Amino acid sequence: MSEEKSTISADKVQTPKGRSLWADGLRRLRKRKFAMACFCIVLLYFALAAFIYLAEFFDWQVGPIKWSEQVGESYQKPSAQNIFGTDIFGQSVFRKTLYGAKISLTVALCASFISLAIGLPLGAIAGYFRGLVDEIIVWVYSTLSSIPYILLILAFAVVLREKTLFGYKLTGITAVYLAIGLTSWVGICRLIRGEVIKHKDREYILAARSYGCSNGRIILKHLIPNVFHLVIIDFSLRFVAFIHAEVILSFLGFGEAHRPSWGAMINDARIELSRGVWWQMLAATIAIFFISLALNIFGDALRDSLDPKLRTQ
Amino acid sequence: MAEDETLLSIENLSTHFFTEEGVAKAVQNVSLKIPRKKTFALVGESGCGKSVTALSIIRLIPAPPGRIVGGRIIFNGQDLLELGDKQMREIRGNKIAMIFQEPMTSLNPVFTVGNQITEAIRLHQDLSGARARAAAVRILKEVGIAGAKQRISDYPHQLSGGMRQRIMIAMAVSCRPSLLIADEPTTALDVTIQAQILDLLDELQKHSQMSILLITHDLGVVAERADDVAVMYASRIVEQSDCESLFSRPLHPYTQGLLKSLPQLGLKAERLPVIPGTVPEPLHFPAGCKFHPRCPIGSGDERCRTVEPQLREVAEGRSVACWYALGYEENLKFKT
Repeated sequence: MSEEKSTISADKVQTPKGRSLWADGLRRLRKRKFAMACFCIVLLYFALAAFIYLAEFFDWQVGPIKWSEQVGESYQKPSAQNIFGTDIFGQSVFRKTLYGAKISLTVALCASFISLAIGLPLGAIAGYFRGLVDEIIVWVYSTLSSIPYILLILAFAVVLREKTLFGYKLTGITAVYLAIGLTSWVGICRLIRGEVIKHKDREYILAARSYGCSNGRIILKHLIPNVFHLVIIDFSLRFVAFIHAEVILSFLGFGEAHRPSWGAMINDARIELSRGVWWQMLAATIAIFFISLALNIFGDALRDSLDPKLRTQ
Repeated sequence: MAEDETLLSIENLSTHFFTEEGVAKAVQNVSLKIPRKKTFALVGESGCGKSVTALSIIRLIPAPPGRIVGGRIIFNGQDLLELGDKQMREIRGNKIAMIFQEPMTSLNPVFTVGNQITEAIRLHQDLSGARARAAAVRILKEVGIAGAKQRISDYPHQLSGGMRQRIMIAMAVSCRPSLLIADEPTTALDVTIQAQILDLLDELQKHSQMSILLITHDLGVVAERADDVAVMYASRIVEQSDCESLFSRPLHPYTQGLLKSLPQLGLKAERLPVIPGTVPEPLHFPAGCKFHPRCPIGSGDERCRTVEPQLREVAEGRSVACWYALGYEENLKFKT
């Protein structure tokens, strides 16, 4: 016994301090400079949205929340004063673009959480219990995903619009993120179901059951932490899709009607372009372009560093 | 063997898997008795049903497709097959614990070993987090892990196979179970570590007085560690005996074949003898005695091909299931 104890303590000297898989992944992520730059861009967008919320709450009179103010003649070209010119009402397009960040990010964030709140538990339950429960859940999401996505969101948006739910009136933006969230949990559900099926027959799950864990405990404490990196990766990539979905809905006239959003701006630009007014279009496009690109690059880097199967470094 | 000396007795256990290709009868009519404080070895080739027997005891057969179709599993006077899910969970880990073959994959990769041991402890004992942690450190020391206080915050991927198996053992014995099921605990480890792990199990058995059901295909391990042995072949127990007599005088041709195929010190042989043929698949078991196609005696015998011999006691503490085994027929005549 004493002999082998000494080998173990010698072994101990070599091993580094306890590091979880998460810490490991994040350390790898931090090494990717470009991905971190993209992450900073995403953070900037979020900071802007948060700032607008704060400004509205405390009634600070700053640019973006005074978007409805008339700053000049209608349809003025971009100039030093109004870098993206003005729209038909003489409102600053730049201010509207900034304000649009709040709408877009709110919609994308809420929709992400709703789809996660539906998809994650359903996927885990379907994958873990299989059998009839699984069949029902798969049947529901197969049905849902067989309907063309845009049509489905539109249908939900139309139904939910201006309805009262639990005594709470669904204004434009709420209806939008509800519609997106309720229709887009299929992807995450499928992903989690597949991963849970893969993990649930692993020996560590059997071992956990052998020392007395209940099913609920196994799902919550053992399975979900093991697939959670996929949730985060999926979240970051899906977020972009939700920003686009909001734009599409607004473009089709089912979005936020009373406040500026990027989709609404592009919708306006549809008529304006024929008159040679391109700046509203440009501003909204730039805003969408940068967050989409940054999130996509960051999401890919996140996957590379968190997914154990892709680890090469 | 007196009844109160038996910790676990399995009576006519049958576990089948209902697959799309048909019913795989993985375990058929298995009966065995595990005495208190003893090591009982269950030996057999891969796929003979020994792991399924073990999983049946703690009722963790993957269901569907698996199902225990018959028999009784009496543990401390209580039929485990009649317990509800909640009662069964209270027994798992607490009264009956299990360790597995693959220490590399039996620990949850996202938690520290301390986390997992304390989870096992707190599931069965009402301890605060800090006290459970202290208990975990104590157990880690007990299983021979140096620097237990630091090791407790390590993640599984930082540990070697032998260390992980020690952690698994620590988790298993953390609640002082009266039965430890060790399913090929050393198969995945290299030989020097194997001996250490088996020594550790011996030591733990001595001072916590538990019984061990040792599942293995390694006859060397059996000879050294077991008190009683059951040999399984194609879903049935073919021979059961105390360890010494099994090795000195095997009765079943399968056991004889197994022992002959072991390398022996001092004996120069060009090639080791082998048992011809392969283990039949559970879906296509032969009729009659399942060993007859490979048997040196029975392959041409009409009775062996058509009628399956049942396990029958042929001497004090020795049972065998073979028409040609010494004493089998005599016993039959005597009984009828």
